[in-house]
Amino acid sequence: MPPILRKALIYLAIAAVAFVFVLPLWWAILSSFRPNEAIFRDLFPFTPRALWPEPFTLDAYVAIFERGFGTIIANTLLVAGLTTALGLIVNGLAGYAFALFEFPGKSAVLGIVVVSFMLPFEAIAMPLYSVVSQLGWIDHVAALVVPSVANGLAVFLFYQFFQQVPKDYYEAARLEGAGWLRILWSVYVPLSLPTCISAGLMLFIFQWEAFLWPLLAMPAQQFKVIQVGMAAFQDQYTTAWNQLFGAAVITALIPMLLLIPLQRYYVQGLAGSGIKG
Amino acid sequence: MNRSPIPLLVLTLAPALLGLAVFRAYPIGLALYESLYTTIGGERVFAGFDNYLMLLTDVGFWKSLRVTLWFNLIINPLQVALALALALVFVQKLPGMAFFRLLFLIPIGISLPVAVIIWRIVLLPEGFLNGALGIVGLGPYRFLTSPDFALYSIIAIATWKGISYWMIFLVGGLQNIPPEINEAARLEGASPWQRLWLITLPLLRPTLLFVLVADITINFLLFAPVFMLTGGGPRGSTNVLMYEAYKSGFVFGDMGRAMAIVVCLVALLLVIVAIQFRLLSSAPKEAK
Amino acid sequence: MTRLPMLTTALALGLTATAHAETTLTVLMIEGLDKGAMEAVAAQYMREHTDVKVEIQSLPWNQFFQVSEMRLKSKDAAVDLIYTDAPVVASYAANGYILPFDAAIADDAKAKLVAPSVATGTYDGKLYSLPMNSSAQVLYYNADLLKAAGVTPPKGLTRDSITKPDAIAQLATGDRWTFEQVAEAAKAVSGDEGGKGKPWGFAFEQFAELYQLQPLGASLGSELISTDAKTADGYLNGDAWTKAATWWSDLFNKANVSPRSLGFGEAAQMFTNGQLAMFVGGTWNVPAVAKSSINFGIAPHPKFADGKAATPTGSWYLSVTKASPDTAAATDFAKYAALSDEGTDVWFKTLNQLPTTNRLLDQINADPAFDAFPANVMRLSAWESRNTAAPRPVTVAFSQLQDAFRTAFTDIANGVAVDEALGTAVDAYNEAAARLNRK
Repeated sequence: MPPILRKALIYLAIAAVAFVFVLPLWWAILSSFRPNEAIFRDLFPFTPRALWPEPFTLDAYVAIFERGFGTIIANTLLVAGLTTALGLIVNGLAGYAFALFEFPGKSAVLGIVVVSFMLPFEAIAMPLYSVVSQLGWIDHVAALVVPSVANGLAVFLFYQFFQQVPKDYYEAARLEGAGWLRILWSVYVPLSLPTCISAGLMLFIFQWEAFLWPLLAMPAQQFKVIQVGMAAFQDQYTTAWNQLFGAAVITALIPMLLLIPLQRYYVQGLAGSGIKG
Repeated sequence: MNRSPIPLLVLTLAPALLGLAVFRAYPIGLALYESLYTTIGGERVFAGFDNYLMLLTDVGFWKSLRVTLWFNLIINPLQVALALALALVFVQKLPGMAFFRLLFLIPIGISLPVAVIIWRIVLLPEGFLNGALGIVGLGPYRFLTSPDFALYSIIAIATWKGISYWMIFLVGGLQNIPPEINEAARLEGASPWQRLWLITLPLLRPTLLFVLVADITINFLLFAPVFMLTGGGPRGSTNVLMYEAYKSGFVFGDMGRAMAIVVCLVALLLVIVAIQFRLLSSAPKEAK
Repeated sequence: MTRLPMLTTALALGLTATAHAETTLTVLMIEGLDKGAMEAVAAQYMREHTDVKVEIQSLPWNQFFQVSEMRLKSKDAAVDLIYTDAPVVASYAANGYILPFDAAIADDAKAKLVAPSVATGTYDGKLYSLPMNSSAQVLYYNADLLKAAGVTPPKGLTRDSITKPDAIAQLATGDRWTFEQVAEAAKAVSGDEGGKGKPWGFAFEQFAELYQLQPLGASLGSELISTDAKTADGYLNGDAWTKAATWWSDLFNKANVSPRSLGFGEAAQMFTNGQLAMFVGGTWNVPAVAKSSINFGIAPHPKFADGKAATPTGSWYLSVTKASPDTAAATDFAKYAALSDEGTDVWFKTLNQLPTTNRLLDQINADPAFDAFPANVMRLSAWESRNTAAPRPVTVAFSQLQDAFRTAFTDIANGVAVDEALGTAVDAYNEAAARLNRK
């Protein structure tokens, strides 16, 4: 196949995938710029005008921020940021220990850690509520952050990665007289940046999408997070579609913007791998 | 491998294990305990294994189990394969890729309920997709209200939402493969396909195992799209076990039956995950 | 009386307002207008009872039942009063989440409130929940779309109408449309390609919901389940419901005049966009419809030609939780909100939903302020609530009944045979009723 044709085909495939990814959101973005009464006007029956924000208005965004969505986003960033930071340390340390140290019952404990994330949250929400209220954390930010820090899946992710790192690195550093903390910090952490990003994303998105738990744990609703804030756009009889879509656009953009600067850790040094040829 | 001083072990393991014990294991224990109880006329009564025995003859449970297995048989290989393909595209250094990478990341930040709300409007009989198909003279199709389509529509929505997320993990795994190995193979004349099958995939095995295990868990427990779109219908075609359990516990107030279903579901999940560990976790070094 | 969790919460939030109040009551509400109305009632109550502080918490509508159920089940002492939807009264009472009111309050309620509302709040002979308001449904029609299709619109209330009480009675007794008429008119509007080129003919606001569709069977004289609540056999799959469900099926599968699924609020939105000629919906849609440019009318809820008039009813109640540390104070507030003249006045003025007290219903009928549109819609609703209201059945397995009903009517709209769908629903209900009533 001539290279030009190959390249064209690759681009076509990529563009097609990107189109499927974007299309539903494109419509949501446009709808967020329409007045609420006009959201469905060009859909039943469908006209191509549905793909254009007409009539155009910024009302939805004004209303979103008048509802205090700025604070809500800041709250969620705080909760998700804290969880991610603490979670990387706590789960990273545990993964390191599981990968490098031997102790009796290790595989059993590791097994339980992995299984602990396999139960649906709905099943443990009520007992967890009792635990957290006995701790006196109801309506405190701690109720949102602390239970989510330790994460069996994240431990497993770190364990898997640290296990892959050749043991020679560790032994060599030991011979030079370095302590375990120093080895972790100067040998393992730099190697594990992509894993940290994956684990961090997991912890962050978990909080970004958290809904049932914040409703239960913060009953006074003085401190709202995004999904709880967005639920208020749908009440018993009506839905503020344009605001819902506007908020969806904002909440989709934030994780994306946070991931963009991290991309360089992914793409560097990959010239030789993959299917490029 | 080396034996380690106890204080060091405690220091590194205690925070995670304590958190998991208090906020996961203990609530899980309480939930298991609940599956041995039932509510009769407002009174909570110890029922032993009655809740489980009742499931044996529960037609709804078995029908729902079939739907769950079929759903997972399709969605898990599909999501992992697409996520892998996307990850391989994502790491390519082509001009303009930065822009496409951005687009690939979009679904990550959209929560599942919002994704479902948007896709519902896309898939309605009078919705976006049928409108567009109508212009070329096709349809209208009943994507969400026909027993032939509904489950696949839900698979499509969950896949749209899921693959960017799993892609990130696979991209991280690709990053851990030393570029020199691929480069050496290329110089020896291996085609891109050969390099994919003989080098990239074997070396990616730990990450693939992780993604497969995590993805299958999430899909086994997935019910929000069913809850929001089809309510398990039409004709029970989308009634996955987790939705059956949710309805039992939170709509019908029958926590005993709900927990019994969840326990069966998790047991099944554990068997599948154990098989995956068997198949995928042998040392990935032989590819050299 | 103070409570530790509340106190720490208040301290953590830097609130010190609880300092002089002796009792704090927390009411769990749904978010939105209802919450605002309860806040207004609470403010009025606190002016008269300075030793009590009433706090309102709220949950989004979509998650209200799930999350409130969790809090009730875990015997959460931080909830003293709970806003209770009519159909879950029985299940809350049977599960021991809420306390019955004493005989004096029950007698007071019977004297002051309309009978169906009291009946729905009663379980096992005891009054567990006090009704805050009721609801009524009407037929909204787009006069221009009907005329363009050659159909004479039904008689109804319009934007500039002035309607005296006797005219309301005439409208509801002599001029009520039949479901057969509605189906014919819908066919005239949408041809057989509804939703594609032409507007849809007709829709119900709450697609396939029991609350919305119960009047179909009730109009033909049938209940959903037996009076002892043990079985649905011979009721939901009897002749009346089979006929009603066939009419429903034809809307979608024969005439193709109605969209196959609608989310909450979407019927009203399509109506105000001119994409839907008629819909049966709650009176809460009046403001949105009146604001649109549609030339509309509001007619009484339809009935079957050989049946009687029957309309949906029932709305939200207020109950005292068993876990409340101060049930006496909570009961006093519930009484104030649902039975006192001051409390019900504030609630009605703030929320503007159909009241349940005879005093307010009489006032709506007599007061000339309710002659003009849209207040006369309230007068029509008041008439329906006293003459045609068909309350939902009281059963501990109501959630299962509602779910089975929704599944059956959704499946029927999607082409499943009426007998098969109703049979499945009857089996599901009977199994659940047997399980919940076993001794």
